Formats: sequence, structure tokens, C-alpha cells
Amino acid sequence: MLEVTDLTKYFETPSGKLHACEGVSLNINKGETLGLVGESGCGKTTTGRTIIRLYEPDEGRIIFDGHDITHITQHEMLPFRKKMQMIFQDPYASLNPRMTAGDIIREPMIIHRLPKDEHTDRVNHLLKLVGLNSEQAGRYPHEFSGGQRQRIGIARALAAEPEMIICDEPISALDVSIQAQIVNILEDLQKSLGLTYLFVAHDLSMVRHISTRVAVMYLGNIVETAESDELYTHPLHPYTVSLLSSVPIPDPDKSAARQIIPLKGEIPSAVNPPKGCKFHTRCPNAKPECSSLKPELEDKGSNHFCACPFV
Amino acid sequence: MNDEILRVENLHITFTTSAGEVKALNGVSFGVKRGEVLGIAGESGSGKSTAMLSVMGLTGEYGHVHADKMTFMGEELTPERVKVLRGKNISMIFQDPMTSLNPVLSVGYQLEEALKRHHWEGSIRERVIDILTKVGIVPAEQRMRDYPHEFSGGQRQRIMTAMSIACNPELLIADEPTTALDVTVQAQILKLLRELRSSSGMSMILITHDLGVIAGEADRVIVMYGGKIMEEGTVREIFNEAHHPYTVGLLRSVPKADGSHERLIPIEGQPPDLLNPPKGCPFVKRCPKAMKICLSQQPEPSTLSETHKYSCWLGVKN
Repeated sequence: MLEVTDLTKYFETPSGKLHACEGVSLNINKGETLGLVGESGCGKTTTGRTIIRLYEPDEGRIIFDGHDITHITQHEMLPFRKKMQMIFQDPYASLNPRMTAGDIIREPMIIHRLPKDEHTDRVNHLLKLVGLNSEQAGRYPHEFSGGQRQRIGIARALAAEPEMIICDEPISALDVSIQAQIVNILEDLQKSLGLTYLFVAHDLSMVRHISTRVAVMYLGNIVETAESDELYTHPLHPYTVSLLSSVPIPDPDKSAARQIIPLKGEIPSAVNPPKGCKFHTRCPNAKPECSSLKPELEDKGSNHFCACPFV
Repeated sequence: MNDEILRVENLHITFTTSAGEVKALNGVSFGVKRGEVLGIAGESGSGKSTAMLSVMGLTGEYGHVHADKMTFMGEELTPERVKVLRGKNISMIFQDPMTSLNPVLSVGYQLEEALKRHHWEGSIRERVIDILTKVGIVPAEQRMRDYPHEFSGGQRQRIMTAMSIACNPELLIADEPTTALDVTVQAQILKLLRELRSSSGMSMILITHDLGVIAGEADRVIVMYGGKIMEEGTVREIFNEAHHPYTVGLLRSVPKADGSHERLIPIEGQPPDLLNPPKGCPFVKRCPKAMKICLSQQPEPSTLSETHKYSCWLGVKN
């Protein structure tokens, strides 16, 4: 459904070029969920936003549904936007406070010229689909709780009848008990509507739960991808190993038994990333040659790819 | 109990707002023993931070605090007494290390200020270098001249930690100390706090919504909801033998550690409205086991063991 090859996005900053995402390749099959994880500043959000052309890609190719959408104009992009929608992290900032919930959900239908006489029915239908009721269509965002607002964001993303949704940290701003509600809604919608998700998040245990496959990013590069369970049970890349070992486990006995593999130092600046393998400055297994070689994703068997030649 | 350094009985806090009285805390009692880590779990608005701000005397002019008893090391925590203890014997780390540091003063200056305020005996400069080194900000002589923006988020939280332990407090209150940080940095900070505790024997209250962090760090746990304590017990009692429907629901709504893709069981409904709290149990509207009595009356805590208590009519009935 989506095929991204060598996607690169730079940002000009006063201190130089910031390499937000560099040579990112990934593909997502219809009906599956690809989890994209990594720490702040690793480029996961930039990747998502560049794919949907909120940012202009500097290099690489984006093929969506067999069409090259890398450099088409925003006008030509419109029919693809209809098929590819987005859910944002902050349910407070991503809804216009001066529009009612109903108008927010109706807006994509107007933009994408869905038959006008169906709008109201469809708004009501979508509200029901995300667990709200049609009486709430006339209310403004501030009258809803965070979880309810995220439901409105989901209904808006569904309004244009998309095939794929880019979910950018859709649950990180929500309380624990509400997160599960939203994840369940996303899973139900995927089943009933056959949706494809790119799920960008830093909550590693939730990503494992929802994803078919997972890609791990570090400083603008994908360092490892595998089927979700395979990645979590047999991580190969030293960064993934350390990252997963740091995830808190909600079980006191398991928590006491596990070994955290700490990372040395701080994440390097993306303006001046380390030469060679970008992770070599913090890698527990770094070898002298790591500062010069540029590791590519290699097939390590059973659909598991890792950008480290030493594992 | 003599080994308790903090004791709070029947704490109530109401905030006066333009929309009316908000009852942030409604009869909360707890204690912290010497050397222990007390975890406080709960969602936004459950009152976990407010409870700690009231211990520190930081609830502001619109916060009305009433407690039957609030003592620290056996002495009553009067507003005057708190001013003396705050920052010295009881100190606090806040969630956001960027807004908790003054951006126009060097971090060394800010640490010196804390030590001067509490009349540190001995060389202040040496102490600053000593604690910065302890929290891993090196070389300290050089880095103490830098300003907050020259540090990463994790380093800033290390500096906040350095500030809070500068005067060797007996009790450290850490309010979501790692929530703004990435997991690998979180692991570093939690490790640092663990090392500081084992070398000084200080007690810690750890407030967080992350059940994983609680499971890894706390000795005892309090679970709060809607301004009340729902359940309390040792970390194993809470995670392995939870009794309150809210605790059970909370533990079920996070993915299992073994990575099974079983459907999550969320707690339905929305967080409580503190302006119009339910008359009975605060959790009643979302509770799968709610009964008639839950609507009108608040249950008294039922005791399961010396350390394990929960406030639910199900327990009273049994």
C-alpha cells in the first residue's frame, strides 16, 4: 500500500542542516499496522509528516497505492489526502476551539466534496463509531475530556473515508485508563473498515500490542525492523536491545529480575551527527571500524532486518 | 509508629475557582517510613500532586487545606515550620525540568542559592561541585557556569535532582520526575535516585501515572482516584492481589508484560468532574461492580492485611 524508499528530510537551522530523517525506507501492506518507535528527536514524527506531504521531502520516493506522490503539487495531492489521513498527538491543540465537534468532523467532507445531503448523517454515524453520540455534535472542544477529544480527532480522520491513517502519538497525552479505550477503538476500526496504520509512538509496550511490524529509529535512521513479537523477544541491534531493556514493566517481580542495559551519555545533535554508524558513540559493542562504515539494513532471516553488521 | 517520618491524617483541600469549589482532596491519610519509597499512582486530577503540594505548603492562596494531623519527624507541620523545612529536610523534584530552573541564571548560581538559603556550613562552591559530580554532570567546575538551555532534558533533571538533595533531605518528593523524559533517560534518572537513596538513607515519595515505574521503584503504593485513596498496600499486594475495582481496571488497561496481543480491557467512561463529585464513591460512575449504596455513601477502608487496605463497599460486605 505504501512504499517509501530512501526518504530524506533536512531542516535548515541557524547552526546548520538538521538531518531529521535520512535514507528511511519502509513499506506497509494493506490492513497492517507498522509501529514506528524511537526517542524524542529521532525523526519518527518527521517521517510520518513527510509521507503525508506536510513536509516536502528532500530525497527519496514515496509510492502510495502504486502512485508516486513524492513531488506532486498540493492540488494533485488532494485525492491522496482523502485516502491518507492523520491523527495528531495533542487532542487539545489539534481541534479548532471555535468549531463545534460536528463542524470539525464535517470539514473533510466539504474539502473532499462528499455529497452534501449525506454530511449530517455521516457526522452522526462517525460520532457513534468512535463511541460518542449525535447530541454531542453541537458542543465545542472545551466541553469534552482529553479522551473524548481524541475520539473527535479519529472521527475527523475517518470522515474522508481514508484507506490509511498516520497516527502520530495518538495516546501519549491521555491517562492510562483512557489510552486503552482509544487503542481498542483504533483496533476495532481497523477490523471493520480494513484500515492500514502507521503508528508513531514512544510507548513501546503499547506499540508492541497494536503493531503487526515495528521499525526502530535512531537519529534519523531506521536501525531495525521485524514482526512485532520477533522484535520484542529477539532484538538484534544494540540500540533496540538497550531501549527495550529500559521499558518499565508493570510487575514488581519481573521488574526486579530484569537487567537494564544503560546507554552511555547523551543523544548526539542531529545537526552534527556522528560519522559512520550514528549509534557508535553510545554503543556498548562499538568497534573501531564503526566510526567509518555506514551500516545498511541487512536481512537477518525471518523478515528481520537490522542495520548492524556485527549481530 | 516511631519510624514514620511523615504522617498525614484526614487531609482535605478545596480550591476556590470562578466555577465553584473544587474538592481536590477528600480525607486522605498516609505515612512514610524512614528509608522507604512510597509510590503514589493515579490519573490526572486524582489529587496525587495536590496532596504533596499541601505537605510542602505550596497550595497557594486559593487552596484551603485542612488536616487532623500533619507531622514531620514527630513535629507538627505548621506553615511557619514548613518554611524552615522546605528545601532542606523535605525537598521536591518537579516534572518539567525546563520550567523549574531559572533560564537566566547559571545552574551553579541556582545551586549556590539553595545552599545559602539553608545556611550550608562549609564551602558552598565545593558542595556544588560535589553534588553535580554525584549526579553525573561533569566536569562540574566547568559545567556549573552553564545555563539551563545548554543542557539536555535528562541533564536538567539531573541538575534538579542535585538541587533537591543539596541539603541532604530526609524526605524527597519526586512528582513525575521522569514523565517528560525518554525511556533510556528515565532509566538513568531512576538509577541515579536509587543510588542516592542507598547512600543517604532518605525516604522518597514517588508520584507517577506510570505503573511500570511504580512496580520497579516503590516499596509501598497508594492508588488515588478523585481525591481519595482507593487502595494501599505493599508493591506486591497492589500488583498481585489488587482488590479495588479501580486498581484492577488500571492494571488491566495496560498491555501485559509478556506481549500477548489480547484485547485491552479499558475502564469505560471519563475521569470524574471534581466540581460536582459523586456523593458516594468517586469511582462509582465508571465502576463495573457499582451497587446502589456506592452512589450515596463513601465506604470505610477494609483491612486485608497489616499493610493492605482498600475502600470499597464490596470489601465492607464481605
